[in-house]
Amino acid sequence: MIAIPRLRRSAASLGMTIVLGLAGCAKDAGHGGASNALLIVGYDREPDTMNRYATHILEDIQSCVVEGLVTSDEQMNVVPVLAAEIPTIQNGGVVMRPDGGMDVTWKLRPNVKWHDGKPHTSADVKFTVDAINKGDWKPESTDGFDRIASVDTPDSLTAVVHYKEVYAPYQMQFFRGTLPKHVLDGRDIDKANDYNRSPLGTGPYRITEWKTGEYVLLDKVKDYWRGPEYPKIDRLLFRFLANTTTRINQLRSGEVHLVALVPWDKVRELRGLASVRLNQVLGNGYEHVTLNERHFPAFQDVRVRRALAHAIDRELLVRTILDSLVTTVNGPIQPLSWAYEPNVRRYDYDTTAANRLLDEAGWKRGADGVRVKDGKPLAFTLITQAGFAIRENVSQAIQRQFRDVGVNTSVKLIDGTSISSVWFSGDFDAMLHWWQSGADPEITLFFASDRTPPAGRNINYFADDSLTRVLYASDRTVDQPKRAELLKAAQRRVAELVPELVLYNTSKIDAVPAALRNFKGNPTNAGPFWNVHEWELGAPR
Amino acid sequence: MRFAARRLAQAIPLLFIVSVLVFALIHAAPGGPLSLYLDNPNVRPEDIARLRRAMGLDQPLGVQYVAWLGAFVRGDWGYSYADGRPVLARMLERLPPTLELVGVATLVAVGVSMVVGIAAALRRGADRAASVVAVAGLSIPVFWLGLVLQLLFSNALGWLPSSGRASFGGGGIADRLAHLVLPVTVLAVAHAAGWSRYLRGSMRLALAQPFANAARARGVTEGRIVLRHALRHALLPFATVVLLDASIMASGAVVTESVFAWPGIGSLFTEALAKRDYTVLMAFLMCASIAVVTLSFLADVAVHALDPRTRDQA
Repeated sequence: MIAIPRLRRSAASLGMTIVLGLAGCAKDAGHGGASNALLIVGYDREPDTMNRYATHILEDIQSCVVEGLVTSDEQMNVVPVLAAEIPTIQNGGVVMRPDGGMDVTWKLRPNVKWHDGKPHTSADVKFTVDAINKGDWKPESTDGFDRIASVDTPDSLTAVVHYKEVYAPYQMQFFRGTLPKHVLDGRDIDKANDYNRSPLGTGPYRITEWKTGEYVLLDKVKDYWRGPEYPKIDRLLFRFLANTTTRINQLRSGEVHLVALVPWDKVRELRGLASVRLNQVLGNGYEHVTLNERHFPAFQDVRVRRALAHAIDRELLVRTILDSLVTTVNGPIQPLSWAYEPNVRRYDYDTTAANRLLDEAGWKRGADGVRVKDGKPLAFTLITQAGFAIRENVSQAIQRQFRDVGVNTSVKLIDGTSISSVWFSGDFDAMLHWWQSGADPEITLFFASDRTPPAGRNINYFADDSLTRVLYASDRTVDQPKRAELLKAAQRRVAELVPELVLYNTSKIDAVPAALRNFKGNPTNAGPFWNVHEWELGAPR
Repeated sequence: MRFAARRLAQAIPLLFIVSVLVFALIHAAPGGPLSLYLDNPNVRPEDIARLRRAMGLDQPLGVQYVAWLGAFVRGDWGYSYADGRPVLARMLERLPPTLELVGVATLVAVGVSMVVGIAAALRRGADRAASVVAVAGLSIPVFWLGLVLQLLFSNALGWLPSSGRASFGGGGIADRLAHLVLPVTVLAVAHAAGWSRYLRGSMRLALAQPFANAARARGVTEGRIVLRHALRHALLPFATVVLLDASIMASGAVVTESVFAWPGIGSLFTEALAKRDYTVLMAFLMCASIAVVTLSFLADVAVHALDPRTRDQA
């Protein structure tokens, strides 16, 4: 016999030696804690583009580089960044014209320079509007811009935006910032990869390296306009870690320092880690069950919808599946918004009420316990996103709770990309999902009767004339207190008619280094990096 | 030569059929490059319709296919729907990490499966142990093994980096090798498990052949019979399997790359799939098909060259 066992033994010990040797080397490389020299962010995806106008997703990396005229803070207040102030009717920045249009005057902050040293001026504001309205490239959203007739620039720091019609969310119009005229004028912006991969901005950081599939490195700029003391952190490294478990593992091993938007089912794993602090804010989104009245006509009866709302024990879902990380809410506008109406009709867990309402609506229990009317069972399919562990569990819990009142639900899981086209086509009965919105409280596109797809996202296929009138009136009202009154009336009407089953607020939890100061989080898609210039580790230096 | 030419001629219609099927399949999947936009209430449906037109996605599928095929055979692989950059550039920048990972994993798996396969063919005890380990290796899901190794070696013990190709700022050779250990282990385990069983089987067969007995009768030592006679015989089918599997691995280290955030072509594929980035998906799947066709062609040619008996028919 030949000496294979011996060979194997020595191969194994050689392998072990190599592994241990490498382990020794690897310990020296990286694995340092977060410091003001370097903060490593575990990021869930690689951006397609750094051009803020060409992407629809959260733009955390971009917002460190390209600043808006405004941003929205951790309380969802719109705050000026490159604008000197927010134009309003009260301060004369907004003037309603007799022809039904309106003029908004943006005063820019003086002495702001692009990273190449050129001044940031009203010409950049005008160029941005013109470039988007020219339509020869692919900006992601033209909302609001297509209502602008022209922009005047009486001086280098004043841009007067002439709207053709009243546009209530005008404050957020330049939330994504401006395009630098001196770089992009006369060019095909879709093909301007120098800009799209490394945009010229005015922000505290610039992109110094983008290693595809691995990371983006940002270095702080000299002469940031807020003063030489900002930003406090020298370098930010965004590592692309698409797999959630890998991202959490890297956070635990100290290979990354910060993970934004920790999924709720991963929070427990991070509790008790000395190096990490969990920062929680309310989100500007709400998880709910959409009831498609067109596809499943039984939902057209308000008694059925109210019964289903009473049948869900939301407090139980929150306490058990969600570990009390979220709070129940009762409508589409969230508590942080200035338009929030807390005093709406509520549907507490009450199976007696649910059963009574279903009886009244003519749905009688059959032999198998499932309610029947005109020979048809009260049975529908609830779709939700596959691989989203919390949703899979919540949908099963709801299925069980509906069963208690004689409603049969089957759950169907659909992958994240496919489900969007399914609901957009309207080919489903009910869906568990969320809407996440920007700081402006517009809800017309979700509830106005003429905003069913493709014209909007009223996928309840719900129609109520008085609600639709109030919503459109709110869109045409610029004065914030008056608009708030209209939106509050709309919320009361929505709660009355319960077109969808609202479950809970989508709170946002970020895992940050325990020693990081001035991290505030953000409820909207402005993202937690909106105040990155203030972030600082350890004691002030 | 004639043999090689004939096999090549068969490959072209095959690839054409594959391209039609693949194109039809990825477009049949629900959703498209713009479907993720739907989830964002701030993107209006009229903007989505405008982008569809701008991307040419409103054209009939047949028109889109012909346009794609025409460009593809001319070497123009188009632009990514996701980031607007050339598809070829996106693929090329992701290729080296994958070749590195798959190359090392293949070498390790071949080494391990040769040692284990030969030992299992010779000794009953080793065979039992090897078959238990091989069944485990084949049945443990790759992503699970990857995550457990991360938990053990990076989180609990802190010996190895959990993922990525290199530490930031520490791109030395030791650092690179340290990053390779876990993903290579995961990839190699699955393949070595299968390959070692394969080699064991063909070794057993070879050792039972008359030529092995004849060699024994001539007084050749057992070690020499195993290494010079039987192994050479058993390596033919083994090489074919390794080549075919390696080509699939080159395109299919998808799960491993995702778990270990390895910046290779597999993670590009996962990303493109989620975004329905049709141009990238088509280029990737066509390259994978071409790789499989090419390597099976090479395997045929290799067998043809190594085994004189297959030459007679040519």
